[in-house]
Amino acid sequence: MNHTRRLFLPLATIFFLLSISGEATFADPSSTIATVQKVSGIADVVRQGRTISAKIGLQIYQNDTLRTGRDGSFGVVFNDDTLLSLGPESILVIDEFVFAPRQGKFSIAIRMLKGTVAYFSGLISKLAPESAHIETPTSSIGIRGTKFVARIEGEWKRGAPHQGN
Amino acid sequence: MRHWRIVLFVWIFLCVLSGCGAHRAKRDLIVLLPDSDGKTGVITVTTQGGSQILDKPGYAVEVEDLNKPPIAPQPVEEKEIMDIFGPALSMLPDPASRFILIILYFERDTSKLTHESKVLLAEVLRTIKSRKSNQVYVVGHTDLVGKEAYNAGLSSKRANYVRDLLVSGGIKPDTLFISFYGKARPLVPTQDEVPEPRNRRVEVIVR
Repeated sequence: MNHTRRLFLPLATIFFLLSISGEATFADPSSTIATVQKVSGIADVVRQGRTISAKIGLQIYQNDTLRTGRDGSFGVVFNDDTLLSLGPESILVIDEFVFAPRQGKFSIAIRMLKGTVAYFSGLISKLAPESAHIETPTSSIGIRGTKFVARIEGEWKRGAPHQGN
Repeated sequence: MRHWRIVLFVWIFLCVLSGCGAHRAKRDLIVLLPDSDGKTGVITVTTQGGSQILDKPGYAVEVEDLNKPPIAPQPVEEKEIMDIFGPALSMLPDPASRFILIILYFERDTSKLTHESKVLLAEVLRTIKSRKSNQVYVVGHTDLVGKEAYNAGLSSKRANYVRDLLVSGGIKPDTLFISFYGKARPLVPTQDEVPEPRNRRVEVIVR
């Protein structure tokens, strides 16, 4: 009896540590991909149904939705130095952002649902020029190393219209 | 006096409601802008109806409907760009804080640096050290003379040659990321088999 008890705690600790480290290596989708660098007015991030108001330094994750109110706007810097900013009354979903130079994996997939966006390519477009895309309700924008702005009038009519989460 | 003020207010109010001057109403608008590096990239806008390529800065593609092809690129006035995109553009973080790109050039069909680029190498080392960078990308390229496989090999040799120079200059190997593209990504687009010194290069990108 005494013996089993003595074993239990160390074993539990080992299991606990194992489960944590396992998660850390698995954590690709839950690791940070961008940081908020500028905010003005009402701007927030919707993550798994939770709304977080955007502040300078807020970390952005894959599958986050970025939203701005009537006077809101904000700017983020991605891990590869891609710059992105939203004007007022805009909604954008980051479906995928992969910047893994050691594995040679690069990809940006963003859905712009409405509003105005400014975009300035970072390293991904230098290292893998074909791998950045923005989907809008009407079109697909392929980006090869550049700076551009887009205004999207809104209303998703194409397939797979789920509005992020 | 007061009368005029009311007229002005009503006019502004109506403008806000109807979107005065916004003659591009109800269409998606995509505008290419010049990079701060002075280089302009390319955007492809594709709908179910077709596709348009945007490669001139200050030009815009409009999309009316997902079933119709995008409208061919047309120039947009800077004022209109600022009217529509001013708030978004003012929030774009400062590009100057991003990476630094230095290009080293090579003698034809060799992995020997040109004289000017040998001199530039010292600056590359200084840049890496002063930024305390732990991410340096070394990307090899060739011009369009010769076969793809041969050029892939040559661009790899060039990239690895620069890598070795950086390592012997005191840069830690695990901060260097090497890649090479042979003739696939010329800096100056040319016809196949055209010798072009500006394409024989290694790009060093310091984060």
